[in-house]
Amino acid sequence: MEAILETKQLSKFFYDPVEFQALKKIDLVVPKGQFAAIMGSSGSGKSTLLYVLSTLDTQYEGHLYLEGEDLSLKTKDELAAIRNEKIGFVFQFHYLLPEFTVLENVMLPALKLAKLDQKQIEANAMEKLRMLGLEDQALKKANKLSGGQQQRAAIARALINNPKIIFGDEPTGNLDSKNADTVFDILKELKENFNQTILVVTHDTSFANKTDRIIRLHDGEVVN
Amino acid sequence: MNTKSPNIKIALIHLLSKKRQTIVAMLGVTFGIAMFIFQAGLMSGFQTVFIDQTINTTANIRIYNEPDNNRKSILASNGKKENEWIVVRNQKVKDEQTKIKNGYQIIKQLEKHPDIAGISPFLGSQTIFRLGIAQTSGRVSGVNIEKENLLFNLAENTVEGNILSLQNTPNGIILGIGLAELLGAKLGDNINVISPKGVELLLKVVGIHRSGIVEVDKVRAFVNLRSAQQLLQVDGSYITDINIKLRDINKAVPLSKELAFKYGYTAQNWIDANSNIFGVFKIQNMVTALVIGSILIVSGFGIFNILMMIIYEKMQDIAILKAIGYRDKDIRTIFLTESLIIGFFGGIIGLLLGFALQEIVGSIKMNIKGFVAMEHMQFNQSPYFYAFAFVFGMIVTAVAGYIPARKASKIDPVDIIRSK
Repeated sequence: MEAILETKQLSKFFYDPVEFQALKKIDLVVPKGQFAAIMGSSGSGKSTLLYVLSTLDTQYEGHLYLEGEDLSLKTKDELAAIRNEKIGFVFQFHYLLPEFTVLENVMLPALKLAKLDQKQIEANAMEKLRMLGLEDQALKKANKLSGGQQQRAAIARALINNPKIIFGDEPTGNLDSKNADTVFDILKELKENFNQTILVVTHDTSFANKTDRIIRLHDGEVVN
Repeated sequence: MNTKSPNIKIALIHLLSKKRQTIVAMLGVTFGIAMFIFQAGLMSGFQTVFIDQTINTTANIRIYNEPDNNRKSILASNGKKENEWIVVRNQKVKDEQTKIKNGYQIIKQLEKHPDIAGISPFLGSQTIFRLGIAQTSGRVSGVNIEKENLLFNLAENTVEGNILSLQNTPNGIILGIGLAELLGAKLGDNINVISPKGVELLLKVVGIHRSGIVEVDKVRAFVNLRSAQQLLQVDGSYITDINIKLRDINKAVPLSKELAFKYGYTAQNWIDANSNIFGVFKIQNMVTALVIGSILIVSGFGIFNILMMIIYEKMQDIAILKAIGYRDKDIRTIFLTESLIIGFFGGIIGLLLGFALQEIVGSIKMNIKGFVAMEHMQFNQSPYFYAFAFVFGMIVTAVAGYIPARKASKIDPVDIIRSK
């Protein structure tokens, strides 16, 4: 199977307050269409790994490949462009811009990409919102939605540029079990219907058990 | 909204969602620029009035004979050998007349000069004016009133009487308004004028004149040249000054040098004659620039503060924008745009407010009688000031906005998102 994401000898050090190796020579392959969960106890380095993999954190050693392209050599601006086009994010908190409507929030990454005109972007955004059952909330301000709706809007935003991979950092961590299930089902459907690659950090075992693969992290090393 | 500029849209929404802060920041710029325009217009307007009035009472070029009181002894300048000492004790200044020899021939020659618009002979003297028991000292200016009028537009500033009728009234006198008030003199009164030589003339007031400079109006009176010559007991060709008006006052400096060289007398141009005033103006302008500059810099700090506040509040927005692919440059553009919008609209309102202030203050009747006399505050509403104020305001806002904008662009999204 084609690998979307791959690491070679990926290490990460923290120097403050004392030198500490958070990730230890990690070799990892995430093939296309896989829904994988990263698990580990607190301090195991799972969030650190996610931020390195998602190119937000560039202070690492070793190599990181997205669709075979070595990202460890890219500049910050190049990485920003790659995130914009190829990566979607769903965090524990929704991080929608509160003064913008839901629709505008979803459109933001596509407006930055600027491959389509305003009309098409708006149509695409509406389509994503419809898929997530939010079409009737589209013109509301983002801060007027409920927590579950906001998280779904954040997923719509992650999907707007049809990313190669979606990264989730505890995407259900701040939701009640019903909304958590909804979010999981949405991710599952994305994988099943669109062959979407998804990598999620979670400490929720029941969530992890329903995914294709669990990557267990202990003291900065992958243990399986 | 343009597809290509979500940045500008984000900037606008930030500003609109914090209306009160935005307005406060704008007001800083508005007041800065309004004060700038008001102050600069006031200073420059005042200076223009002052220069106009002063220049109207000083000749563009004045040729006169400056007595040389520091002459070397004849013995010292002739045939002095080395190791030889010549000492002349108690040397007196030579009784030299300050007359311009062949003054009328010089005038005749210069009348043909292409740069010269008008030329007028002058003979001045200290005098005492007396009317009944009222008396005051002052100066008479012996002139050819027609020619003098050509130089200084005297007729325009007549308060009473007919200034040009001095020409036909050999024993006439024109008093400055202050002098007339001191003496209690009215049109048609006869005034005793006494010279340092002890000559006393009885002259009839044919006009009252206001130059606009209070100190001048208190001491100056015009008489015919002939009267002045009588007061000084000199012959009919005796004049001390030749006043010249140029077609282009900017030629005064080179021409004054030329005339001084040609005739061997001192030729003073209007710039040198008023150099002390220009010096004061220079200091005045510097102080004004400092005050206005500080006002604008203070409003710059206002913008800086408000942008910093917005950035702290929008930390999470910045983090997510960076996560979804906005570059550092985009973030910088967003916040710089915000400060420029504040600067632009604050500036435009400031221009209008400054203009309105000038119009309002300028329309109030004040009757100022200080150094110069004017009825209203005069403002210089030169577009140059408006343009300069606006450009300077925009530069200040750009600098004040750039620092927070750069700080925002340096925010690390991981720090923000992980710390939650």
